[in-house]
Amino acid sequence: MAHPITEEILQITEALLTASPDPLTQARLNQSLQRNDISLPEVVAALQKQFQEQQRPVDIVAVAGGYQLVTRAEYQPYLQRLFRKAGKLSLTRAALETLAVVAYRQPVTRMEIDQIRGVNSGSVLRALLEKELVAIKGRDEGMGRPLLYGTTPAFLQAFGLNRLSDLPKLKEIGEIMGDGEAATPVDYATE
Amino acid sequence: MAYHVHLENFEGPLDLLLYFIQRDKIDIYDIPIAHITAEYLSYLEMMEVLNLSVAGEFILLAATLMHIKARMLLPRSEPTDDEPIEDPRQVLIQQLIEYQRFKKASEDLRWLAELRSAHYPIGRTVNGGDNGIDPGEYLRDVSLFQLMGVIKEIMDRMPKSEPLQVEVEPIKLDDSIRAIHQAFASARRVSFRQVLKTARHIQEVVVLFLAVLEMMRRGMIVAQQPTPFEEIYLMRTLTD
Repeated sequence: MAHPITEEILQITEALLTASPDPLTQARLNQSLQRNDISLPEVVAALQKQFQEQQRPVDIVAVAGGYQLVTRAEYQPYLQRLFRKAGKLSLTRAALETLAVVAYRQPVTRMEIDQIRGVNSGSVLRALLEKELVAIKGRDEGMGRPLLYGTTPAFLQAFGLNRLSDLPKLKEIGEIMGDGEAATPVDYATE
Repeated sequence: MAYHVHLENFEGPLDLLLYFIQRDKIDIYDIPIAHITAEYLSYLEMMEVLNLSVAGEFILLAATLMHIKARMLLPRSEPTDDEPIEDPRQVLIQQLIEYQRFKKASEDLRWLAELRSAHYPIGRTVNGGDNGIDPGEYLRDVSLFQLMGVIKEIMDRMPKSEPLQVEVEPIKLDDSIRAIHQAFASARRVSFRQVLKTARHIQEVVVLFLAVLEMMRRGMIVAQQPTPFEEIYLMRTLTD
């Protein structure tokens, strides 16, 4: 039986969200409150309702298995003038492609990545490892026991995903070639 | 002129094939191998002229294309029920399709990151953002092959060089950069074609092209294109 959410709990949670450098998880909330009968998703829903009623410029998004307090998208033009590249990844085309292969095919070996891209992805993969968007997840059982790569929680955060299953579906070739240049908007699970 | 551009941050051999397929509106399931091979080889040759270091993978694909072309010319045995004829292009087509799917997925990721970056997280210092310039970042809107397409067109129009050996005036990269910079004195946006028009011979086209790449790398300019295969524009970045 979940405990009723009091005004005090809401305020504590907002303080935690404000101060957390990483998305706030249920475990972290329990640790802070020293109890485990408060459901974080319910608190978040109540806070979101409050923010809306009070017309606050912030919102809470579900990301990388936790919750994060963020500014609302409509303030981007103003924030952008002061904080140019804040939070924005500068990834090369090659890096994004490699990341896409890792994200959809993980756990994946370098050979499989090279084969799909038709080029050597070694240095690009190294850069992704350095940026901590990709990590080594173990070794394949096959010949030579090659390393296996997968994405990290930082990857989910950077792309605003809560979990891997939130990735947009890999399109079939007909869908890509058919709609020509028309930019297909991604199914973006709204916060 | 010891100047090399590494393609690694730009694109690979499969991108070049997909570029032709899109440009010429080719059916990916029925690729005219002879035509594509000829185009591919002419671009490869141009990449050498431009001092773009051609990676082994480009050569490998050239060999694959020529192999397929040869197999297409060979007489085929009659198909039987257990052994249907196999199209020599099959493997390459599958690879291109698979690659195209991931290219699309990488665009989707770019879009997701864009949406995500509209939200500034609270509780994190946003000032320490990544200010490093990735060499590929500025080629986001225009592919290297699209730039090369324009160069090729202009080079083909150049008068063929006389057999007579003339003293070649060495052209400096820095001079070309300065010249391009001057073009921006009156306009924020200059078309790529316009920049190359000032060249009097092929060497100058080459150096101007390298100058453009170098300026992109330094973050001085960006290249953009309103829609595919239209005019490519160079724009000065705001940082001055």
